[in-house]
Amino acid sequence: MSLESVMVTGIVLFIIGASGFLLRGNAIVLLLCIEVMLNAVNLILVGFARYLYGTEGQVFVFIIMTVSAAEAAVGLAIVVALVRLFGTADMTRINLLKG
Amino acid sequence: MDTLVFWILAGTAVLSALAVVVLKNPMNSVVALLVTLLVTAGLYLQMGAFVIALFQVILYVGAVLVLFLFVIMTLDLKSSRERPVLSPRGLAAAFTAGIFFIAGAGWFASRGGFFPKTAVSPGVPGNGPGIREIALDLFTGHLLVFELASVLLLAAAVAALVIVRKERSRP
Repeated sequence: MSLESVMVTGIVLFIIGASGFLLRGNAIVLLLCIEVMLNAVNLILVGFARYLYGTEGQVFVFIIMTVSAAEAAVGLAIVVALVRLFGTADMTRINLLKG
Repeated sequence: MDTLVFWILAGTAVLSALAVVVLKNPMNSVVALLVTLLVTAGLYLQMGAFVIALFQVILYVGAVLVLFLFVIMTLDLKSSRERPVLSPRGLAAAFTAGIFFIAGAGWFASRGGFFPKTAVSPGVPGNGPGIREIALDLFTGHLLVFELASVLLLAAAVAALVIVRKERSRP
């Protein structure tokens, strides 16, 4: 188990999250894909913190977890407001800007 | 042995992340993401980041995913029909992302790994920085970031309340 294997795992997880963000239309699944991407970044940060024997990587992971919790709260509030307004969470049907 | 455990955990993480994307019901996606986060906590444990693993379980699994489950259960999205998961435009986007990934991985492999081998290799359990070192670094070197995170959480709580508030008739 080397740093490269940790990085490859993190990169694969990030690609899966990014592809899911482009593929899916459900707003809640989009938020879940964002969580997958943040998790991949956390994994790479912890790998580097272990590799370089520093504490900054783990401190950054704490900050990313805080930002992720705030993002989930605000994002889910937006989803609730969207469903209340449009009656659906499918992002392809919400096209107010198309006129 | 450590390598085998690592690859089992990493494979489970990748498979459950794929399940998050592929499964149609959002509830199943949340459960798959729960598996991903728990397996990642196991990876953190293997890398000696015990504090991070603890907070991963408490904060992500205990708080964020429960919030997701509450919202899905209260919204009752069963009636909304989603477009098929594999649409041509989405497949093209995923194909582009895969091309970028293969190019990056090929470049990475052609370099033979550019990290010097002299540093400590991750995966030796038990000798990562402990909670004392992390707390000292967080509360001395990154104190401003810590305080800003508290302000961010307060702002997010207020913003969530404002967004979901029912629109009242203006005077």
